[in-house]
Amino acid sequence: MAKGYDLIIVGAGPGGSVAAKTAAESGLKTLLLERSRVPGEKNVSGFGLTSKAYRDFPWLHQMELPSMRVGRKCVAHILSPPPELAERICLYSGTSRRISYQEGKEFFTVMMLRREFDEYLARQAVAAGAELRTLSLVTGLVRERGKVCGVRLEGGEEFRSPVVIGADGVLSTVARHSGLREKWRPEEVVSVCCIDFSASRERLDCVIDDATFHGFFGPGIGGNYFMCMAEGVHLGGPGVGNSLISRLKRRRIKPAKELLDTIKAPSTLNLLKAVDAVPREWQAHLLPWLDRMPTNIFGAGVMLIGDAAGLPEPIWAEGVWQAMYSGRLAAEAAKEVIDEGDTSFSSMQRYLDRLEDSPVGRDFIGGVQMRNLFELLGDPRVLGELTEMMVDLFVAMFMNGQEVHAEAMSRLLPILAENLPALLEVGRVYTPVLMEMYSQSLRDKLRLLKSVGAILSGMTSDLDQVDGDGT
Amino acid sequence: MSEELDSFDRFSLINIVPASRDFIRIEGEKCAGCGACVVICPMDLWKVREGHARLVEDYREKCMECGSCFITCEYGAIDFSYPPAGEGIIYKFA
Ligand SMILES: Cc1cc2nc3c(=O)[nH]c(=O)nc-3n(C[C@H](O)[C@H](O)[C@H](O)COP(=O)(O)OP(=O)(O)OC[C@H]3O[C@@H](n4cnc5c(N)ncnc54)[C@H](O)[C@@H]3O)c2cc1C
Ligand code: SF4
Ligand code: SF4
Repeated sequence: MAKGYDLIIVGAGPGGSVAAKTAAESGLKTLLLERSRVPGEKNVSGFGLTSKAYRDFPWLHQMELPSMRVGRKCVAHILSPPPELAERICLYSGTSRRISYQEGKEFFTVMMLRREFDEYLARQAVAAGAELRTLSLVTGLVRERGKVCGVRLEGGEEFRSPVVIGADGVLSTVARHSGLREKWRPEEVVSVCCIDFSASRERLDCVIDDATFHGFFGPGIGGNYFMCMAEGVHLGGPGVGNSLISRLKRRRIKPAKELLDTIKAPSTLNLLKAVDAVPREWQAHLLPWLDRMPTNIFGAGVMLIGDAAGLPEPIWAEGVWQAMYSGRLAAEAAKEVIDEGDTSFSSMQRYLDRLEDSPVGRDFIGGVQMRNLFELLGDPRVLGELTEMMVDLFVAMFMNGQEVHAEAMSRLLPILAENLPALLEVGRVYTPVLMEMYSQSLRDKLRLLKSVGAILSGMTSDLDQVDGDGT
Repeated sequence: MSEELDSFDRFSLINIVPASRDFIRIEGEKCAGCGACVVICPMDLWKVREGHARLVEDYREKCMECGSCFITCEYGAIDFSYPPAGEGIIYKFA
């Protein structure tokens, strides 16, 4: 006899654990299933939790983990094309005062190990009353009358529940067995390789301090990044900007070789040396990378969240906050449909509607257009020209001790004029991004007007009725 | 540091509990020999020989379960599922 629950969640990553915490707190009898021995030991990212997560899940402010390092600065290194990979520009930036909420004004991300973070979240779910079962690989779903109503583990054991949430990551078994998606297409995912290094805390404190993110970009460079935790450094990439298909089509370069080659850039290597970094682990993971908000993410009795749903945002493929946010929405929707006793397709639709309206869904606005912009900036010719233009301007304006100041300054306009073609090209691609953003906000305003209109017309017809009753 | 990177050995920097059953299956007759899996695998576990993809014999000791080969194969020749619970790749510093 299969054991019964109100809600079963497959996968104890950030999405699954937040869904389980939310569900258990709302009184649902919740089962959280995870294939690994300890939540987090399968989940590569090594990773930055953005300030949005602290805004939306205030209980995170209590979290203290050994690997944590707060990132208040970001550094972009722009390098010359391979093989030199010489540093041409380095932009060092703090947070912007224009960010609309306090945490965002204070920091970018908190860096930490997923192993610690995922375990912490799973403990929160258990503390809220969810039952966590590790060493449980889900291999199939149980269905009745077209609805998903449970899961099957390898070995045959079954668990029943009116709603199942697939929080099982990029290669989701729940997506596959519910018929929502067989697998991603190669253009919809990126493959990211990482090297994790141990590093000296003292050296990190003095060399890195709170500039925890260093990105390495440049003409013909895939885009590596370097994230610093309390006592470790994580080097990843070049993933973003390289879907599996674009990697195959454009370059046929092996991901591992590309990572190893580009970290030999002097700026990367010197940073690693300065913090006494020693390689301690090699990692690889897939990540969904869509330019449109996916919609095929629910069915009768089933919802997908996080990577299983393809929710990482369209530019950097940040996905942990997205997993947590969608997990909470899905658990709230589950509570409602279970209380209403209706887990049909149309009843579950509310999950998608709310997700589309949430900041997670809205982060996909202009995704297609932004991808085009990124593609253009990734074009070695365009980025090469823009980089050298910035160097020329900077040297002419601020750093010129090599020539007569007035002569150097008078070069500003000619430099801009010379680079007009590249600037116009960027403008041509940036305009559609802006248009898409503005048209979306216009659409939102129209929608608001429409709903106000509907309320008004509802009121007037009520009034008519009152008038009618009165006579 | 540069010497460490020159001698960088991926295989000595992973930790795997070898799976007790197969979890990658090749359907030979569907394979078009396109070589996509060979390019994409971060551990270089694939080869194409005589127009057909081959996975190294001891992949259970080397595969990182990333699924890249499965997603990349557009001919449906590779099937992938996870190893049994608690087996396979274990990240200590992810
Ligand atoms: C290299 C890299 C760097 C990244 N960096 C960042 C970053 O800095 N910031 C950020 O926000 N995001 C980052 N991401 C993205 C982020 O890792 C994902 O978006 C996020 O992990 C998604 O969370 P999830 O809960 O949906 O899925 P996952 O974290 O993938 O969790 C899925 C869980 O389900 C379990 N599972 C899978 N199948 C089964 C099954 N059949 N039965 C039982 N259990 C199962 C898995 O073991 C796992 O624990 C990065 C990703 C990569 C690859
Ligand atoms: S990707 Fe598929 S079709 Fe191409 S060689 Fe590999 S198995 Fe064969
Ligand atoms: S799952 Fe990843 S590591 Fe394993 S064989 Fe496929 S591509 Fe290679």
